[in-house]
Amino acid sequence: MKLWLLIASFGMLSSASFNSYAELNGQNIALNCFNCHNPKPAANSAIPSLTGYSQQRLQQALLDFKYDKTNATLMPRIAKAYSDAEISAVAAYLSQQ
Amino acid sequence: MARLSRRDFLKTGAISSFTLLNGCQPLFGKAASKAHVVVVGGGFGGATAAKYIRYFDPTIRVTLIEPKAKYITCPASNWLFAGLTTLDQLSVNYQGLKNYGIEVVCDTVIQINAEQRRLTLSSQQTLNYDRLVLSPGIDFRWDSLHGFNQALSQRFPHAWQAGPQTELLNQQLQAMPNNGTVLICAPPDPYRCPPGPYERASMMAYWLKQHKPWAKIIILDPKRSFSKQALFEAGWKQHYGYGSENSLIEWISLADNQLVSLDAERKTLTTEFGDRFSGDVLNIIPPQTAGKIAIESGLSNSSGWCPIQPISAESSLLPFIHVIGDAGHYAPIPKSAFAANSEAKACALAIVSLLNQQAISSPAWMNTCYSLITPDHGISVANGYQVNADNSITAIKSAGGISQKTDPASLALEAIYTQSAYLNLRTDCFD
Repeated sequence: MKLWLLIASFGMLSSASFNSYAELNGQNIALNCFNCHNPKPAANSAIPSLTGYSQQRLQQALLDFKYDKTNATLMPRIAKAYSDAEISAVAAYLSQQ
Repeated sequence: MARLSRRDFLKTGAISSFTLLNGCQPLFGKAASKAHVVVVGGGFGGATAAKYIRYFDPTIRVTLIEPKAKYITCPASNWLFAGLTTLDQLSVNYQGLKNYGIEVVCDTVIQINAEQRRLTLSSQQTLNYDRLVLSPGIDFRWDSLHGFNQALSQRFPHAWQAGPQTELLNQQLQAMPNNGTVLICAPPDPYRCPPGPYERASMMAYWLKQHKPWAKIIILDPKRSFSKQALFEAGWKQHYGYGSENSLIEWISLADNQLVSLDAERKTLTTEFGDRFSGDVLNIIPPQTAGKIAIESGLSNSSGWCPIQPISAESSLLPFIHVIGDAGHYAPIPKSAFAANSEAKACALAIVSLLNQQAISSPAWMNTCYSLITPDHGISVANGYQVNADNSITAIKSAGGISQKTDPASLALEAIYTQSAYLNLRTDCFD
């Protein structure tokens, strides 16, 4: 009985926490963003924190990097690694942080 | 249901973990796991794994074993040769991790009993684990050069683990004659920090240009080519006369004529075909393997590195042990601190999923690596990596590569990013 409850609760939680595979993937990719874009950036950091931006704004920025619509050094090379759907999922994850 | 946002976790650390146990719901499962994860090695990989396991599931008990009370980062340590940083500025402590409720034990693991999932520390204390994360970094092969041994690294420092070795090499650089020669013996692939020897030459050249402009750096390379080569060579040409008679830096590939012996008294290296190179300062960076504890525990194969299952970072040789960072065989992902952090996060997610009996999601690794040629001339390489159906890891083809914009303004911007990226990466791992 206990075991059954445990399994049932895991099942419910997993469907509650992760609505889709895309969302999961968004998180796995997005975790890498914090390496440079720290929510607690160093004093005078030239690399901005990503905290406080909407999904729409983050998504547009990433798409602009991907399709070379903005002048940048490193991000275009990174953004090209991901599909538009993945970029959308990354933006969704980051906007909730 | 409210879940712990990254911002809340960062703000409140251990306090929010406590609140979670009693109130809100953690990201994964109920507050029932109470599993114990031990992380061995407090470098970029280990610190990140410990922190992010607690972030994903604060009900998991995490212990970090690290012999040093403070860690001196290898990233940015080459900047010391240019006078841009000090060992003190390169040092981090473990207070930040303790604030997340991670138990930090200052000790060395002397034995891993994989069958009983138990570690023995040098203090003879034993620790049981449900999952072990091993992030032991690198060790050196001291037998590759006749006449060279570990003791001689006190005279011919590798400075490939930052700390006293870095200081020693810097003292030798500063004390050498004004027209002296530095020999940098680059290691064969694979090794920690592929662009490291070339950034080091750049930073030394930056200092020598100001203080000993008649000196010379010769890089003796067992490889045919090296990381970011076109960008380094362009920068050396611009700043250090590369390619000219008076160049501060010379690069010699010895791919078909490898170094075979060292005459320590004469500070002379000899190649297979009898060519000799003498210097005032010899920076011998030996070939590398996974850290000692990984090798001794049977986690490495004949390559000297630890094979892993990419999806979970779990060892292909021993169960319940996950290997991350430089020690792991993640090729083609380079052995960098950024990559160690990326591997650690994917590993943390996998471990939390395993401990909560959930499916593991596909890892998405990334690497970004900046190097300085001067304080105002930065270059980079970046890419994303994926695991394939056949369990291999590949770089994502459509993306990545080295700096494309090489106008002075872009290079100056990349130099500024180099420094910010280093500090922010440090924060992401240790604070």
